[in-house]
Amino acid sequence: MGWALAALAAGLACGGAGPRENAGASGAPPPAIEIALVTKAMDSEFWLVMADGAKAAAAARPGVKLSIVAPDREINIDQQVTILEDQTRKGVKALVVSPAGSAQILSALEQATQRGVPVILVDTDAPFDKKVTYIGTNNRRGGQLAAKGLAEAIGSAHAEVALISGVPGNESQDERAMGFIDAVASEYPNLKLVAQQPGNSERALGLTVMENMLTAHPGLKGVFATNDQMALGAMEALEARGLRGKIKIIGFDATKEAVQATVEGRLAGSVAQNPFLMGQRGVEAALAALDGKPVEKRIDTGTELVTAANAAKYLK
Amino acid sequence: MSRSPWWQRLAPLLGLFLLCLVLSLASPHFLTVDNLLNVLRQSAINAILALGQLVVIITAGIDLSIGSVVGLTIVVLTLLMRHGVPVLLAAAVALALGTAIGLINGLLLTRLRLPHPFISTLGTLNVARGAALLLAGGVPISGLPPGFREVVAGSLLGVPMPVVIAALAYLVLHVFLSRTVYGRDLYAIGGNREAARLCGIPVDRRLNLAYALSGASAGLAAIVLAARMNSGFPLAGTGAELDAIAAVIIGGASFFGGVGTVGGTLIGALIIGFLRNGLNLLDVSAFWQMIVIGVVIVVAVWIDVLRQRVGRTA
Repeated sequence: MGWALAALAAGLACGGAGPRENAGASGAPPPAIEIALVTKAMDSEFWLVMADGAKAAAAARPGVKLSIVAPDREINIDQQVTILEDQTRKGVKALVVSPAGSAQILSALEQATQRGVPVILVDTDAPFDKKVTYIGTNNRRGGQLAAKGLAEAIGSAHAEVALISGVPGNESQDERAMGFIDAVASEYPNLKLVAQQPGNSERALGLTVMENMLTAHPGLKGVFATNDQMALGAMEALEARGLRGKIKIIGFDATKEAVQATVEGRLAGSVAQNPFLMGQRGVEAALAALDGKPVEKRIDTGTELVTAANAAKYLK
Repeated sequence: MSRSPWWQRLAPLLGLFLLCLVLSLASPHFLTVDNLLNVLRQSAINAILALGQLVVIITAGIDLSIGSVVGLTIVVLTLLMRHGVPVLLAAAVALALGTAIGLINGLLLTRLRLPHPFISTLGTLNVARGAALLLAGGVPISGLPPGFREVVAGSLLGVPMPVVIAALAYLVLHVFLSRTVYGRDLYAIGGNREAARLCGIPVDRRLNLAYALSGASAGLAAIVLAARMNSGFPLAGTGAELDAIAAVIIGGASFFGGVGTVGGTLIGALIIGFLRNGLNLLDVSAFWQMIVIGVVIVVAVWIDVLRQRVGRTA
């Protein structure tokens, strides 16, 4: 009966049942350059768009075989470590990685560089000296942009604003929060930050936090949530109290759902990152490193404030 | 010990061999010393957790809390080390803490008479995870003493230390289960609890011991995981109980209790490890991996059901 078990497992393993996410050349001659993009997960638009960017860069160069792999959930950091170890043993020529845990995956990255595999970090940085480059959003600038968007939505009157932040200790979320706090304090004297609470990047928690804030600060005029999930949760809380449009909300990521809500006037806007460019530049940097060409140590993929005025191009 | 015929006990081993054979044909990178050591190292933590799970499953119980116990002990261990507590002392505290939570699981069952370990360990699952997040403030704990990772996640004569640690744990538990009166009592309790009680076996004390061992295995796994990740992460071990249970069941232990061996569990853990590794080498997405492992679990339990049926008619 062990036969049945093994046959079944093996059948699934090598019967082509697994959708190998390859781009680039897959013809008869064995591909010359194998590159892996390892994301934190593959369960949201953000990662899928990043994968598309990586595929585009791989397709632009003949002979590149791109594998795209990820743990099943972002919190499965040990699974990402395992994937990195396995990809290194598979003999990939370069790794483009978005660290699920900046500290936890260091030894796996170390193993890769010891075998001469260059490591490019995208979206989330890690304290890893031997990385070729870090390609991602300048989150502090993104937070500043959110403050600007909120100030414009509220106008010049004096107003109380609040901040819903991510999991404490998550570097990109913290940077967004700090950029926002700094900008409110230094550039928009009419705005006063009266409350700050973590919503752990979760929609349900964003809703609860917003409800609590409304109770504590009934005079609130604006909210910045450091990701769209929390912004959409906060939006539900406001609308349940009949406050649609009365309290302005800015989110972060410009997901389709948030942009749609912006068009409908339910959100004031969202700060867009550029995951496509992260994936694309990531693979390009990997190829440049393999060619021995110099690569900048830090590549900013830019941010843009999405409001009702420019939302159309994000809904394509 | 398992009294099933030899060909049934060899089923998991045959499964493992076939799996390796197929994977080595499917991927040229699979059958290398480097990759095999890699898989052993990756499997060590689940293998250790599965040992504890085996002990409670032998008693016809289950321990859902071990993943969370890993989370809590890894936080306590790394906090202690970061505050300058000597590594050995911190590790001893982690082991003791895991054992204590396991003992509480046992006492909930034997003293409070909760109707099923599913309930008691579901409770401690939540308590331990909440405590881990509170203690760590929701953030990973880093800045561990440099020697810790080098020793516990390093290697000894070319063999990864996690593998050495797991091997020692397997040896000790094999002796415990097959050569001591405690081990024999646990099988007897799992086979028929009332009969065991009538035979004069101190059932409650043995059950407490079984759950304490399960907690200890979670503490040991947390030590290895902390070294491997070089940090303490309050969400560490989330869902790890499911892989551990899967390893025990694939390894031929019975949920009905009284049946299961250390060797079978080792093979179960290796089947999961090799399966994951092979699928990673073949770039199979994590979503397909979940489906494959799910199917393997169902088939393994189905085999268990068939085995019970054969056992009854024979």
